[in-house]
Amino acid sequence: MGSSVQPSAWQIQRDVIYALLVREMKTRFGKWRLGYAWVLLEPALHIMVLVTIFSLIRDDFYPGVPTALFMLGGIAPFLFFSHCFSKGLAAVVSNRGLFNYRQLRPFDAVLSRVFLEFAIYLAALVALLSVLAWFGVSTDFNNFLLLVAVNFFFFFFCLGLSLALCVVGEKFPEVAKFSPMLIRPLYFMSGVFFSLEQVPKEYHTYLVWNPLLHVIELTREGLFTNYQGMFGDLAYLGFASVSTLAFGLLCYRAYWRDLVRSQ
Amino acid sequence: MIKLENLTKSYRTPHGRKVLFQNVNAIFPEGKNIGILGRNGAGKSTLLRIMGGIDYPDSGRVVTDQRISWPMGLSGGFQSSMTGRENVAFVCGIHGIWGRAQRRVMDRVQDFAEIGNYFDVPVKSYSSGMRSRLAFGLSIAVDFDLYLVDEVMSVGDAHFKRKCEEIIAEKRKISSFIIVAHAMPLLRKNCDVGIYLESGGLTIFDTVDEAIELYKGEQPKPQSRSGATTPPAVNA
Repeated sequence: MGSSVQPSAWQIQRDVIYALLVREMKTRFGKWRLGYAWVLLEPALHIMVLVTIFSLIRDDFYPGVPTALFMLGGIAPFLFFSHCFSKGLAAVVSNRGLFNYRQLRPFDAVLSRVFLEFAIYLAALVALLSVLAWFGVSTDFNNFLLLVAVNFFFFFFCLGLSLALCVVGEKFPEVAKFSPMLIRPLYFMSGVFFSLEQVPKEYHTYLVWNPLLHVIELTREGLFTNYQGMFGDLAYLGFASVSTLAFGLLCYRAYWRDLVRSQ
Repeated sequence: MIKLENLTKSYRTPHGRKVLFQNVNAIFPEGKNIGILGRNGAGKSTLLRIMGGIDYPDSGRVVTDQRISWPMGLSGGFQSSMTGRENVAFVCGIHGIWGRAQRRVMDRVQDFAEIGNYFDVPVKSYSSGMRSRLAFGLSIAVDFDLYLVDEVMSVGDAHFKRKCEEIIAEKRKISSFIIVAHAMPLLRKNCDVGIYLESGGLTIFDTVDEAIELYKGEQPKPQSRSGATTPPAVNA
């Protein structure tokens, strides 16, 4: 019984990821009419809340950058991160049925989800920038290459994190219960609605350990000419990204069979 | 050819580990249709899943050079919130079937499953018969050397069973089947070789009738086997 021509490993990987993306798009957006709109609505609502609060506190929140844009630069990356976090934790449980096909392992589920979240994040960022510019809220654009570099590192940071979390979520399901408790403080510590220079100096040494803070600072620096991103460190972000990815891949490599094996 | 090498698989239960297979060695005859029999919980589905590469043994391995299908069962494999069409499209996709070829496969599956407009309804609202027709119909979609069929055919009505047999008859010209079922006539009709699965190991018979005899012999005395007696030697 001669086996017919086997497709190459890359071909299989490509087909699987593509099929997963198509499927995720359908289940994510197809269910209700607001599906696609929610991509924009979620960050937009966050921004509205924050802008309302901080406009009341101070007229000129950050000199030279409109408050709405300032918040957008923090919220969009943070939402991507927090989606990856929760999706990563649930990656194995919610895709159990998919592992009925041998070419589809948790890695593919995680990769396609992070990829889709990343695409949604970029699309939402661009769309909301355009919408705000349409209404006259805009400022000088700074550095496209910096944005590319930041998002390149950010993507692999989130991929590594999600891979590690998909192992954690399966081995210690209790952790999933604590995830809001982990995410919420990060919201306040990552500079979503402040810039590091607005924080007293003595806290800087602690806050700068957070790679997410660097992502947000650097994103704002890339977006706005008037933003002084003197604390964002691309080298540190690169280092955090590579080490997180290595850690995530190691975790996955060590435990992936346990994720799908019946115990 | 499929070769099981020192296969051990156990499950965790509140009363310690329950061993399904202990150091099982076996060579499955090539090009034969194989029927697997055994009592509930003997590990038939698990064996199928391990051979299909979607579950992993505690130790040992499965050696094969064939392309083996996913186990076509009732429960797994379908995303119940997606429609039948979306599920078929997805399975085609991960097997590298896109575009025109995918539409052709979809038409054939819809035709085979005879579910009409239900094809565009979420799978969760299917009856078990419809579900099994779709599951089995999907097997037409992708070409494999070896198909693993887990109980799918037991659910349908006579008409569906006949259609399944037609498909098997057509497919077995180039592929073979491993079928798990409790329906004896179905196994007699479609299988050449029988495998009887019991606690700790498996026995391969040259004809499926011998396995059926053994299986039937077990039936009237449910309490006959205690853990102390070792099962008959595993052969290959």
